[in-house]
Amino acid sequence: MLTLLVYALTALFHDYLLFLGMNQARYISIQKKGGIRMMILEHEAKRLLESAGITVPKGILIRSGNFAESRRVKQFPVALKAQVRSGGRGKQGGIVRVNGAVRLKAVAKKLFSTEFGGEMPESLLADPWLPVDRELYLSVTVDAAADGYVVLYSPNGGVEVEGGAPPVRYHVGAPWFFRAHNLRAILEPVEKDFQLRERVIALAQRLVDMAAAQDCTTVEINPLARLKTGELVALDAKIVYDEWAHYRNAGIAAQREGIRKRADKWLRACLDMQHMYVKLDGNIGLISGGAGMTMGAMDLIHEYGGKPACFFDCSPGPTSTRGYKPAFALLDHDPAVRVILVSVFGGGTQMNRVANAMKENMAMRKSKKPVVFRLDGTFVDQVPAIFSTYGAFNHDSLEGAVREAVRLAKKS
Amino acid sequence: MSILLDSNSRVVVQGITGAMGTFFVSDSRRYGTNIVAGVSPGRGGGKVDGVPVFESVAAAVRKTKADTAMVFVPPTAVRSAAIEAIEAGCRLVVATADEMPVRDAIEIRAVAKANGARFIGPNTPGLISPGKAKMGFMPSFCYMPGHMGVISRSGSLSYEACKRLTLAGIGQSTVVGIGGDPVKGTTAMEALELFHADPDTKAVMYLGEIGGTEEAAVAAYAKRPGAKPVAALIVGATAPPGKKMGHAAALVGSKADSHEEKNRMLSRAGVHTAKGITNVVAQARAALKRAGL
Repeated sequence: MLTLLVYALTALFHDYLLFLGMNQARYISIQKKGGIRMMILEHEAKRLLESAGITVPKGILIRSGNFAESRRVKQFPVALKAQVRSGGRGKQGGIVRVNGAVRLKAVAKKLFSTEFGGEMPESLLADPWLPVDRELYLSVTVDAAADGYVVLYSPNGGVEVEGGAPPVRYHVGAPWFFRAHNLRAILEPVEKDFQLRERVIALAQRLVDMAAAQDCTTVEINPLARLKTGELVALDAKIVYDEWAHYRNAGIAAQREGIRKRADKWLRACLDMQHMYVKLDGNIGLISGGAGMTMGAMDLIHEYGGKPACFFDCSPGPTSTRGYKPAFALLDHDPAVRVILVSVFGGGTQMNRVANAMKENMAMRKSKKPVVFRLDGTFVDQVPAIFSTYGAFNHDSLEGAVREAVRLAKKS
Repeated sequence: MSILLDSNSRVVVQGITGAMGTFFVSDSRRYGTNIVAGVSPGRGGGKVDGVPVFESVAAAVRKTKADTAMVFVPPTAVRSAAIEAIEAGCRLVVATADEMPVRDAIEIRAVAKANGARFIGPNTPGLISPGKAKMGFMPSFCYMPGHMGVISRSGSLSYEACKRLTLAGIGQSTVVGIGGDPVKGTTAMEALELFHADPDTKAVMYLGEIGGTEEAAVAAYAKRPGAKPVAALIVGATAPPGKKMGHAAALVGSKADSHEEKNRMLSRAGVHTAKGITNVVAQARAALKRAGL
């Protein structure tokens, strides 16, 4: 029989895991720094679940700088939970059992001043500490092997889901293919309690419908708790949105706007151009187009003894001067960047236009950081003529350009 | 021979009056693509570059016997356009758009399956059967006809790799961009099966990246008795774990997603695995040699 003690332990660890379900029995500990970009906060996720008819604890949200809100917490004990967009907060002390109002204030103060996964909590969620009878694991995620959505269930949720048998998988595919009887057949061998099983099936259907309607790529409830009263409650919730559905989902648009607001002005200008930027720890500022080619160039930089300062995919809307301007501004401003390597191999992206955009950007730049070019692809034959008008050189091989960038990075 | 696409494919371009559609018509026709119709709701009856424009794909199919659709509409409209083409009877539908919600890809894939059609995309450069036809913006000079089937998760990486193959005299039967999204119209395994059945394809080059499970399918194919020799390049050796590298599926979440693990798995399955971009030609040669070429 599971007890409050088990919940306390679980609270410490379940947060560490996010199941992405891309393969049998694979769990991932989500990134420690910066959080998952499109993951929403626990309290936001719980509101979404609630709107889909899934019971969540009646928690109280305490926002940073609004200690008065903590006075609304009348019943103790509570689980005070830091609201951040990354895993591992339980292990880092981001979930605390609190027994009274005085202690609540002290713990809240401490949590508000602690970083979890590189993020300071903007709010805390005070959930009632519920008497748990059993913990389950239930999630819906997108999986290529399922041609779409997959339901994952384990009769042992919380911390036990990590070490125990892998969750069973029901491949749904497109949301309209959900069949209760198919899921039932998969659950029967692992969930002997038939009443509970039927309730899990009903919940799973709601989760699939919600994931599709709300454009979520992952909806994870761990633990899904059966209380001593028999009620099924989502004690924790992780939801990852699909960024590209922003035009049809206000929640996703708001999440993107939040990312934009939290970014500094250099990055914000790049986000506005739909560039994809990931900061790395090297000194070669790589401006590239296309994810695969960017990674290929990063690998070659390493092979030649250098280190990239970023993954910077500028392929969306890249042919205008305006498109590249914020990319140069960001890298010129970053003191870690010693040299900029522009490596673009374009198909629909026409190199004559890129070369002209580069020419205009070079004329506008004030920074003296050297720039190494390797443009190739459609209309590349026009590049030398454009470059010759302002003394730039276009390397005809990736090897040549990377070697030059690595040399310049070491020199400066 | 080639797979999916050749000079007999009758192509209808959806969104033909847009900038991309217009550029595609002139660029791909020069290459040999047989473009028979365009679709642009509200602009039916006109012509683009001599190509008749219709109100719907169904009308275009009726009048021109189009069997292949190229979708050039904004990512918000791809689902509707692709499903329209499938239900109008097109056997092959290609959508290059990125930034398309995964739910839309799931729906298109399901509809394609139910109708016995093939969908390529999203987030792909398309496909090219060198010397015959192309469905996409890939730079034509990077390709030449030959016996290497190429499958790629990344557009620009396939241009880079194919240019190297072509300069080394290694031609390609067809180059298929399966795309970088988690749910694909055509998976690596499905593309492999098509190449397996194509008598003119003697070996396959697979261009992959970190994250996802496509590489496991490639390894499974390579281990199969009678499989054609496979060469591979996986990029992302130096990508930090837990960060999505542009493509939605390019993320090292667990050990199995990592570059090291994928290379180990492929090598163990007998795949000629390149150490990096500069090693692609050597591994392609090794695969072709095993195929007796």
